[in-house]
Amino acid sequence: MSQPLLEVRNLRTYLTVNGQDIKAVNGINFSIGKGETFCLVGESGSGKSISALSVMRLLPQGIHSHPSGEILFNGRDLLQLDDSAIRAIRGSQIAMIFQEPMTSLNPVMTIGDQIIEAIQLHQAGISHEEAAAQTIKALEQVQLFNSQERLKSYPHQLSGGQRQRVMIAMALACKPQLLIADEPTTALDVTVQAEILKLMRKLQDETGMSMLFITHDFGVVAQMAHQVGVMYQGNLIETGATGAILRHPQQAYTRQLLAAVPENMVRTALIGSANQAGNEPEANQPASLLTINQLKVWFPIKKGIFRKTVDFVRAVDDVSLTIQQGQIVAVVGESGCGKTTLGRAVLQLEKPTSGSVKLDNQELTGLSSQELRLLRRKMQIAFQDPQSSLNPRLLIETALTEPMKVHRIGINQEERIELAGQILESVQLKREFLWRYPHEFSGGQRQRIGLARALVLNPEFIVCDEITSALDVSVQAEILQLLLKIRQERNLTLLFITHNIGVVEYLSDRTVVMHNGKIVEHGATTQVCGTPQHPYTQKLLAAVPRLMR
Amino acid sequence: MINNEISHESFSARIWRKTLGGVGVKLGLAWVIFLVFAAVFAPFLANSMPLLMSKNGVISAPVFNYLSQEDVWVLAVFFLALFVFRLKIGLGKRVLVYVLGGFLCAILVSLWIKPPVLIIYDDFRSARFTDVDWRIMPPIPYAPSDYLRDLGSKGLEAPLATDGALHLMGTEENGADVLSRMIHACRISLSIGFISSGIALVIGVIVGGLMGYFSGIVDMLGMRLVEIFEDIPTLFLLLTFVAFFGRSLYMMMVIIGVTGWSGYARYVRTEFLKLRKQDFVQAAVASGLPLTSILFRHMLPNGVAPLLVAASFGVAGAILSEATLSFLGLGVVDAPSWGQMLDQAVKSSTFNWWMALFPGGAIFMTVFSYNLIGEAFRDAIDPKLSRNAGVN
Repeated sequence: MSQPLLEVRNLRTYLTVNGQDIKAVNGINFSIGKGETFCLVGESGSGKSISALSVMRLLPQGIHSHPSGEILFNGRDLLQLDDSAIRAIRGSQIAMIFQEPMTSLNPVMTIGDQIIEAIQLHQAGISHEEAAAQTIKALEQVQLFNSQERLKSYPHQLSGGQRQRVMIAMALACKPQLLIADEPTTALDVTVQAEILKLMRKLQDETGMSMLFITHDFGVVAQMAHQVGVMYQGNLIETGATGAILRHPQQAYTRQLLAAVPENMVRTALIGSANQAGNEPEANQPASLLTINQLKVWFPIKKGIFRKTVDFVRAVDDVSLTIQQGQIVAVVGESGCGKTTLGRAVLQLEKPTSGSVKLDNQELTGLSSQELRLLRRKMQIAFQDPQSSLNPRLLIETALTEPMKVHRIGINQEERIELAGQILESVQLKREFLWRYPHEFSGGQRQRIGLARALVLNPEFIVCDEITSALDVSVQAEILQLLLKIRQERNLTLLFITHNIGVVEYLSDRTVVMHNGKIVEHGATTQVCGTPQHPYTQKLLAAVPRLMR
Repeated sequence: MINNEISHESFSARIWRKTLGGVGVKLGLAWVIFLVFAAVFAPFLANSMPLLMSKNGVISAPVFNYLSQEDVWVLAVFFLALFVFRLKIGLGKRVLVYVLGGFLCAILVSLWIKPPVLIIYDDFRSARFTDVDWRIMPPIPYAPSDYLRDLGSKGLEAPLATDGALHLMGTEENGADVLSRMIHACRISLSIGFISSGIALVIGVIVGGLMGYFSGIVDMLGMRLVEIFEDIPTLFLLLTFVAFFGRSLYMMMVIIGVTGWSGYARYVRTEFLKLRKQDFVQAAVASGLPLTSILFRHMLPNGVAPLLVAASFGVAGAILSEATLSFLGLGVVDAPSWGQMLDQAVKSSTFNWWMALFPGGAIFMTVFSYNLIGEAFRDAIDPKLSRNAGVN
């Protein structure tokens, strides 16, 4: 290979926060050849985004410094260029796309105007008509059809995947040599992600551009990268060809990270779940704990002065499901398929429009809130977002003992505190954490506390609503193992809502696939994921980026 | 990676620390604390009678014989506040103890304290009080309504005028000491700010909280009520009431409070609408907690911050309302207030700068202080702003 397009030599980026230097990037070296894709992979806070922003020189002035390092782009050191020179390179030679397609487009400008502006900025003297023609071409290139009309649409009129396509079109409009993509598919559904990744590979083949691709998902790495760099605490601990790293990682951290990918975890856990499946002959089925019958949750769409109901959003539409004692049932589906609403409707946090939910043969729908309060003990919920799931004003002790007090568990406060301490220990946290506030914990710890809060009432049934999707893969692995342990200790029944097929395969006994509010496929996990019957399930499974194919 | 060291302070402790971090807010707070001190101890700071005197070997404190019911109540409530602050109980209980204690004090004071109906200030300069072994006078030895006739005061003496007695801020047209009147006027400004904002807060939190939590039809009706109250011109309502029912400070407080809650209700409503669907509130519902706990333990503390900001601006607004009314000559008659002193300054035949500058400056400083405190609060609550304001 001739001279690389981008060469980063011993780059250090320090951020100054409150007078302290944080070594966000601590001496990394890598290079990207022409037409090549280099993937930076690592967990949150490992410095991968900071590295990319350093290349773009997009870090905020005044709080960052580069004590050492060179970023050679076509042989020129980007760190030495002045502002006007770097601006000439940004956009026209190096372009960037971001994670969040909602916020990276200007909501008050049509997408046409935004792309035309970018083109006119970088190609001096181009007329508006020519730029518009180029824009249409660019939109067609990213397979956004009806591009003539799309020019006039505003970002909110597009779906997440369409917006990301617009971002790519905008980035590629000036035919850059290097595209930096910072987690471009993380916010997208798995089927949309598959399309976007395919599109990016196709565009790379057509234009011969290089890509610096940042992701935390090894499945995406396996699909996209020629070269991989694994980042950990600001250091690039391992680089190499994708296949070599994925199959024969040299560093302990890389091995650990790869082992935490649910797809790899399955191999050790399969034995357990296979046993369970074997011990479960049809004749000897355990009692069913939860029975959902023709459950519907419809949200009315109201229009006009008199707020007449014109139609309904059928979030959950005619769902019937039986969950046996001690089972983990996973509900999978893409965003908007109604899986979260289903979880909330089961707990009566969302009032069902019709249908019935029976827990232990006790009908839950139609009960008054007073009657429900007594039953709430048996069923609990754990949430996705570690930021908002705990009351920031209350000590963990209060958050855990207050429900116990209401349900008369424990004779006095001392006993309840003792119980709360035991439960914290059972989710592998320290007893002293009772006397802290939520903001003192990391995301993974907060999710454990959220689980502890669900467990204090000693419920029979817990709805886990995407509890691992905001977490890093190694923390996710710990939480999943913890869930299996708790399930075994307490014979718990879980309704596990997720969009991550890997997690489903690792954790659940049965799988329910939802699409547009309806259950499209339902059965044992090995069956649903191994030999899917319904075309939607097949499409979903095919879209999952796998490590090995 | 950025938060290696985790602080162990609670959310509210952090907000307080950030609020108090700036220089402006410290100055503002210092001024307000100074005002509180002046308001509580006004009879001991500016009065015509000796604080302590010894006559023929008998030590007495004449000032205590002349304390009014109001003076005693204010003192009692002040020390009750200090006591409640030291109690180790929850905030809700503290407020309850304080309010009940305040009422109890008011009843006891009205039963026990019987001050003389008429005070003749000239007496204190007669031999009965001056021919003593020793005596300690207040720092400003003039009561606010002591017109110093026996001293031959002609009124309208400029500050530090050397003929006759020393007056740091001069005298007004009747001959009373301006500084003494300023000190006693603190009370009206402080109490009208706190009490009327307190009334508005209570109504606002209840109405706004119900609107936010129940939403739907309750919200719709509540918002219409808010809009009705927003359309009432407070000043003209006050004028009308003064015209019909005469002048009363308490009536003013109630009217300003009852018409001023709509802003608070909007804030609480918005916060509650937002919090209602938060995961931790849903978790509280899923744990079967009672409604009072969900509303007041899980929702209100998380939504109270913008309210406090609004309240500190509201206090400033109430002070201005009173000053405006007094300036128009419709304020309280029997006690001095800053607005009323401004009115005096304008009405006297010649312009006397000391009569306008000092009360005007005090109003300005007080309103400015509350605004500084309110802004610091707002910046502390908003993490983005707190970084910019340098109060990290």
